[in-house]
Amino acid sequence: MKILPLKSKFEAIAVRGTPAPVVGAEAGAPVPLVNETPHATKGIDLDVTVSAERVVEAVKILDEANWMLEAITGVDWLAERQFEVVYDFTHVDSGERVTVRVRISRDKPELPTISHIYGGANWHERETHDFFGIIFLGHPQLIPLLLPEDARFHPLRKDFTA
Amino acid sequence: MEKQVEVPPGLIHFAMLDDVLNMARANSLWPMTFGLACCAIEMMATGASRFDMARFGCEVFRPSPRQSDLMIVSGTISRKMAPAVVTLYDQMPEPKWVLAMGNCAISGGPFKFPGQYGIVEGVDKLIPVDVYVPGCPPRPEALIEGILTLEEKLRGKRCFPTVEAR
Amino acid sequence: MSIDAQSVLNETFVLNLGPQHPATHGVLRIKLTMDGEYIVDAEPVIGYGHRMHEKMGENRSYAKFLPNTGRIDYVAALFNGHGYVGAVERLAGITVPERAEYIRVITSELNRVASHLLWLGAFLVDLGGFTPLLYCFDDREQILDLLESVTGARLTFCYYRFGGVCNDIDDDFVAGTRSFITRLRSRMPMYDAFVTKNIIFRKRVEGIGLISAETCRKYGATGPVIRGSGVSYDVRKVEPYSVYLKFNFDIPSFTECDCMARYKVRIEEMVQSMRIIEQALDSLPAGPIMAEKVPRTLKLAKGDCYYNVESARGSFGVRVVSDGSENAYRLKLRSPCFSNMSLFRECSAGMLLPDALALLGSFDLVIPDIDR
Repeated sequence: MKILPLKSKFEAIAVRGTPAPVVGAEAGAPVPLVNETPHATKGIDLDVTVSAERVVEAVKILDEANWMLEAITGVDWLAERQFEVVYDFTHVDSGERVTVRVRISRDKPELPTISHIYGGANWHERETHDFFGIIFLGHPQLIPLLLPEDARFHPLRKDFTA
Repeated sequence: MEKQVEVPPGLIHFAMLDDVLNMARANSLWPMTFGLACCAIEMMATGASRFDMARFGCEVFRPSPRQSDLMIVSGTISRKMAPAVVTLYDQMPEPKWVLAMGNCAISGGPFKFPGQYGIVEGVDKLIPVDVYVPGCPPRPEALIEGILTLEEKLRGKRCFPTVEAR
Repeated sequence: MSIDAQSVLNETFVLNLGPQHPATHGVLRIKLTMDGEYIVDAEPVIGYGHRMHEKMGENRSYAKFLPNTGRIDYVAALFNGHGYVGAVERLAGITVPERAEYIRVITSELNRVASHLLWLGAFLVDLGGFTPLLYCFDDREQILDLLESVTGARLTFCYYRFGGVCNDIDDDFVAGTRSFITRLRSRMPMYDAFVTKNIIFRKRVEGIGLISAETCRKYGATGPVIRGSGVSYDVRKVEPYSVYLKFNFDIPSFTECDCMARYKVRIEEMVQSMRIIEQALDSLPAGPIMAEKVPRTLKLAKGDCYYNVESARGSFGVRVVSDGSENAYRLKLRSPCFSNMSLFRECSAGMLLPDALALLGSFDLVIPDIDR
């Protein structure tokens, strides 16, 4: 079980205090910070929520434990005026999956890049920027990847009209 | 409506020679390898062993537009790709023909939906098309039928039998 | 005006590869900064095949998205369908009957063999050898005949449904598959002598395009790319799904990290796929092919889940975020070619241009899978 040594390290840095609304949770309930989830029903083994300032630390924990970056994507929670950035990691020896979630404000969508730790994050962050307009601070080349070079629109935002 | 450009008719007509030239062009269409998406695989299958487009003269797939006379647009044209399509069409020397293969090249296909931001709904919005081959993707037999229709357009008559439905 | 000899030696020029190019397998553009024949920097520019799949996942119901799955990676379309229906079934709690799972495995593995045969032909065309393409397409057409008799399509399959498959397989299909496996097994020595032992092919791919396992980990490269770098990572073994636990098969991996290793992985995978298909046909259970009481319009519970399959190109993942309505709130498609391609810039620096094209061919890219 590769996730066991990670749990305590994540609990040290996971989100505390003010709960952010989470789909399925009751309003006002404490945020599930570090959750072991059943793989058969959720597809992931460990679900971690961190704040934007702690993303780089969380990803370093995973890098030192030899986890592989699978994907980075975003979700637009228009009603709560937040973006959620979801990082998916897997381990090649055990097939376990860790998901790191970050919630950022929709009006100022910024969080630090992890492309200096994982080279694959370069393209994933560019794609997330294309679709949502999230700015990854410190990214070496945050220009459109899938959209045309002069595109200034972000199509997967819920208030996007063509 | 844009003003239609008047193409002046040829100064000299050689009736028999025109027919011979058209037959030569029809029997040796050189397609350009312009596979964009899924239909490209069916185009490759049409050129491969079982369906064998070489029987109809279209063996030589030229990568360069300057050496080809038929552009088979196979696949979806995204708005990012549209300037490249027009550039390639302009680079082809006359006489040239365009075959729109697949629903995406005809009208945007399954990717046309209200609020779409990424594709051009049909290649005839960019360049003039001679033959449309519907399907998603069209079977290799359908593409061959499209090539034969183009050859009929060039020659004035169809040289190969039509497959009758039973 | 005199030209300084030193400055001429230091000059680099920019060469544009694509988006229309016979060796780029679709609409891929690479901006190459060249120093003579050597690549200084290769920047891939993608997006010429972006067809808005993730946006379409949000504005149509779950069932209406099924035809899209066949068009993401059209060469191995059944895997995309499997990933999508698996994710929805996982979130909805639908159990698939056993016969349907076996049929899914048989058709998926046939699709894997067809995809690898197409890759083999295209790879050799990239390197300049046109003939193997004709042999590979001949074998591939036999598989497409079998799959067409069951699914109705040749290329962009839309065969899996939520809770099973939409059409049952019959005895003709079983007999046809068995005879195809016998035929392909007898042709593998021919491919070996024709391609694998060919001295020109070996000089083009041995020692070319070295990718370390650490690079694969940092970039998320999966599938034959990581298995050619010595890591036996296959979703069917480490994160088993469907009924793969019931079959005996090996995961080929080679430690040389070059294009030849990735080639050998795919050839061996075809052999292992045929083993899986035979075992599945031998133990195919009778029974229903669709789960009972699957509603016509699915509304999933709130929440999200992830489902992963081993596609012909790597690990294909689907993340479905549902808010309880008929349409998905967010549908993320994790495509294997996207991650595999992202390490091209780092690995191609300093290579000769033809070697870089051999490296590109060994990734087995389908560009609309990168662009979605």
